[in-house]
Amino acid sequence: MKKGNATILEFAGIAVAVILALLCGFAVILVTSDEPLSALTSLLLDPVSNLFNIGTVLNKAVPLIFTGLALSVVFQSGVFSMGAEGQLYAGGFLGALAGVYIHGLTPWLHLPLVLICAMAGGALFAAIAGLLKTYANANEIVTTLMLNFVAILSTSYFVNNVFKDPSSGGFARMPYVNPGILLGKLFPGLPAHAGIVIALLAVVVVYLMLYKTKVGYELRIVGKSGHFARYGGIATNRVVLTSIMISGALAGLAGIVEILGVHGTYKDNFSAGLGFDGIIIALLARNHPIGVLIASLLYAYIQVGAQTMQVGSDMPREVAVIIQVMLVLLVSSQAIFVYLKQKYGLKAVK
Amino acid sequence: MWQALWSQIMDLTLVVVLLRFMTPILLSALGGLISEIAGVINIGLEGLMLISAFASIAVGSATGSWVLGTLAGVAASVIICYGMGFFSIKLKVDIIIAGFAVNIFGSGFTIFMMSRIYGVAGNYSPIDLKNIPTINIPFIQQIPVLGKLLNGHSLMVWLALISVIFCMLMIYRTPYGVHLRSVGEAPEAAKSLGIPVNRIQYSALAWSGVLAGLAGAYLSMGMTSMFVKDMTAGTGFLALAVVLLGNRNPVGILFGSVIFGLASAVTTLVQTTPGSPVPSQFIQMIPYVVTIIALVFFAVRKKRRRMALAQG
Amino acid sequence: MSILLQMKDIHKVYPNGTAANRGVDLTIHEGEIHALVGENGAGKSTLMKIMFGLEAPTSGTIEYKGAPVTFHGPKDAIKYGMGMVHQHFMLAPSLTVSENIVLGEEPRKGPFSLFRDRNKESEEIEKLIRTYGLKVDPHAKVDTIPVGQKQRVEILKVLYKGARLIILDEPTAVLTPQETDELFDSIKSLIKQGYTIIFITHKLREVMEISNRVTVLKAGKTIATLMTKDTNPEEISRLMVGREILFRVDKQPSVPKDVVLSVKELCASDDKGAPALCGISLDIRAGEVVGIAGVEGNGQTELVETITGLRKATSGEIRYFNEELIGKSIAQIRAMKIGHVPEDRQTTGASLTSTIAENLILDHYRNPEFKWGPFLHKKKIKQFTKIMMDVYDVRAQNEDVMAGSLSGGNLQKVVIARELSKNPKLLIVSQPTRGVDIGAIEFIHREIIKKRDGGAAVLLVSAELSEVMALSDRIAVVYEGEIVAVLENTSELTEAEIGYYMLGLGIKKQKEEVAAQ
Repeated sequence: MKKGNATILEFAGIAVAVILALLCGFAVILVTSDEPLSALTSLLLDPVSNLFNIGTVLNKAVPLIFTGLALSVVFQSGVFSMGAEGQLYAGGFLGALAGVYIHGLTPWLHLPLVLICAMAGGALFAAIAGLLKTYANANEIVTTLMLNFVAILSTSYFVNNVFKDPSSGGFARMPYVNPGILLGKLFPGLPAHAGIVIALLAVVVVYLMLYKTKVGYELRIVGKSGHFARYGGIATNRVVLTSIMISGALAGLAGIVEILGVHGTYKDNFSAGLGFDGIIIALLARNHPIGVLIASLLYAYIQVGAQTMQVGSDMPREVAVIIQVMLVLLVSSQAIFVYLKQKYGLKAVK
Repeated sequence: MWQALWSQIMDLTLVVVLLRFMTPILLSALGGLISEIAGVINIGLEGLMLISAFASIAVGSATGSWVLGTLAGVAASVIICYGMGFFSIKLKVDIIIAGFAVNIFGSGFTIFMMSRIYGVAGNYSPIDLKNIPTINIPFIQQIPVLGKLLNGHSLMVWLALISVIFCMLMIYRTPYGVHLRSVGEAPEAAKSLGIPVNRIQYSALAWSGVLAGLAGAYLSMGMTSMFVKDMTAGTGFLALAVVLLGNRNPVGILFGSVIFGLASAVTTLVQTTPGSPVPSQFIQMIPYVVTIIALVFFAVRKKRRRMALAQG
Repeated sequence: MSILLQMKDIHKVYPNGTAANRGVDLTIHEGEIHALVGENGAGKSTLMKIMFGLEAPTSGTIEYKGAPVTFHGPKDAIKYGMGMVHQHFMLAPSLTVSENIVLGEEPRKGPFSLFRDRNKESEEIEKLIRTYGLKVDPHAKVDTIPVGQKQRVEILKVLYKGARLIILDEPTAVLTPQETDELFDSIKSLIKQGYTIIFITHKLREVMEISNRVTVLKAGKTIATLMTKDTNPEEISRLMVGREILFRVDKQPSVPKDVVLSVKELCASDDKGAPALCGISLDIRAGEVVGIAGVEGNGQTELVETITGLRKATSGEIRYFNEELIGKSIAQIRAMKIGHVPEDRQTTGASLTSTIAENLILDHYRNPEFKWGPFLHKKKIKQFTKIMMDVYDVRAQNEDVMAGSLSGGNLQKVVIARELSKNPKLLIVSQPTRGVDIGAIEFIHREIIKKRDGGAAVLLVSAELSEVMALSDRIAVVYEGEIVAVLENTSELTEAEIGYYMLGLGIKKQKEEVAAQ
């Protein structure tokens, strides 16, 4: 079937999934809430009801875009790495170190340096799982999950005992980063920080990389057919390792941008599962960078809506989890897409 | 500190703690094994344990009966597994993604319910909870070494060990077990012989639900007497690692669970022993690092064996 | 003879629109051996799936002993005494022979019949093996036994379930000639005991040798049903295709020049570590086609893989224009103008979930010609793909079509296009026309000869002896990892002579001569 028609059907399938998932969430609210209508309106409308909320949606979307991109890249190469959370901490940690302890540079030099350190931190940490996979053939699902804990616990140790800012008390953090490189608000009145710009740039770069370059071609071919790639002379191990490291770099960016835009420095346990959200985003986006952008905004929207709903009604924000789970399951259902293809698609190609 | 640790090994406290930590890993790993044999590997063990832990303590504290509580936990877990089966077998969602969704759901839904039913956010500790009983055997209690080894364990510990035998019988001595294996390895062959592939896969998932359900009930009504959000803390993933290492065999699962249970036990003992020179974060890392090392070790061994074959 | 099974006017249209059966009639008499022939895609497999209950017909009736029946699944068909031995074995590798045979109907014991009665199982299997004379080790795990034995397990499976009508789907495709003879003996013995056999094949010699009647399918319809003794292979093939299938290509005699590839004492192991190649030596010159004849599994796959770098040789040399290939990477070898059409186009030769364009640029994407700065030059790639699709007759809407939606013949043409467009000096083609329709076969054969006439050295590996004989200038026969004969492909060369060497009889004779001296 033609590529163009196939894309339209993909969108249709995703739209169906989104609607069904939202309906599930609504059903739960209707059943368990004493004031369902107000809870629902909170969930649906509050995120765009004022500039503060809109800004919050954008801010929440930023790290999701990065981790979503990270997982999309690695999933497209056929690797089930679940290590974005750990790579996010590793990269954020290294970047923050560069932001705190390097002095005397102009922000124009300092900021890029910090970003590069974050990418390097994430990439190098990811390389551990990558090497374990390529040289020892160790299952990457389990190794990356385990390494997440290693990263979170190690960085926690360091921020609590070595790099702790003495004035931070019970909630350990590093001293504040050079204020000149913080990502401030873009527009007055809108609390969205400049990280959204970097995130959009990342979407463009990843898109170009995946679909218009040699590296992306090799990556996608390896993901689609390892046998074919090997037969064609592609060094599959090198490609897999590269893709895992690119993914780690993106996750590292997620960490540092969150630090520079929201927290001001590295705080112990600053990520509440952003790496795992990235897996959901990549699945929703069917691993496509543009899809990641849309999915991140949608996901952030639901999260903000759920949060305001919790504040204003008797519904806990975990209702969002139900919507998210249904989204993942419905979008990943091959049956829905096959069904659509059969009904609306395709004359058999001779 | 080392002295305190050594004395705990000598008076077999280590064994007791080991059995306690090993139980949830062993139970869920056996469940994972059955599902893996049938070709529908269940990676949602974390989520299932959380749901079961919450369901059992909710019903257990409301009815005052640990039996009803445990049954409720198992039932909840099995229902979710049927849901998993529906999405993966009928709607063709990749089984790994379905398992991942169960994990997210388990975490979020239990927090949701804890908030809606009990109005608390972090943990639910009912007073007067009747836990799963510990077994005290009157005569054996007096015997010095054997007494400590065999006595005073939770019923669930014994259930877990019995489950190993149960699984061995089921997988190798019943036609159902042969069908499970054939469905996992050669579904087309099974189908052509009239074996109901889908029904068997649903049932394999259901078994993993039963076992994970028992594990979850033990977490909230045996190991502890409360429900804490995300209390599984990676146990389900350790169980997954055991399945991958276990050589597709319940006895292998037992060995793997002992190793990982040991790692967790040592971690706890060191943490609770005063005067420990090692920072707590690195101690907490022990089970995870052990898992990676074990995984790599076995994977390299497999690879070496394959390469040796290829050299002729 | 009474009529056992009758299929009337069977139609089967799949949800994606393919009409596999368009009015098939088939009548099976009790106690006969009935051959079912037809080209790839004629509808034989679909008809058999319907007969065995794996698929339901869109319309048409099935009658068993005169009474209409509907099969809701294989279990129903099994109840009526039908058994199917599939072309691609349906066995669970880690289960034993015995477990595979009784799968689905295990003898049981104990409360609620929950447990396996392993003693009874052994007893029954032993009895079965003795009654039918099909020797296998019941306690061996299926992934450890050779192909011929696996087929015996499949046959025992259907016999255990009480089949009286046995369908054999391309049973000799993977057997050596000796194993084929043993199979035919078993079939004849089963007929004597009152069984009925349906035999799906495209090997007309076998049809003539063993069947009583033959039904020809073409394009989803029954063309004719004949008494075997009243017909001959030429007539049958004419009915199958509408013209005589001649694997005959018009070609000039070859004018071989310098040696391009020189293989010396090459040894390699297979995936399980057993020796697959032992001391292969062979030269291929520019302008000639060397065909490798032999039953599949005698080392041909490993030979191709070691030359192309996909497998590491354990010893020996492979010289290409005086450069040693062993030790070079796959990418390096491909860059040396060596083309490889692999035997499995669906997993190795193409990426089904990629577009035609993405499949075609597999080597070219490294070429600076197709780059634009750090990016791939999309326009040039598109142009290149369009040209290739035109020159190599790939029939699809455009270059963005997913490779997986192409027919077998078209997909193979994509692979051919990619490999031949490199203007290779050495071209290795493995099973080039397997699963490909007649029109595409002719096209592919012509392209191979074209390259040979253009000065390329061609190594052809094919399980289709007629293809090897049609295309090759010289034929090397492999048996158990060794080259047992190299024959000039003159008009005097017969299939029988090649078959003789394929059986390993050539070596035996030589050894006897040496011993007698």
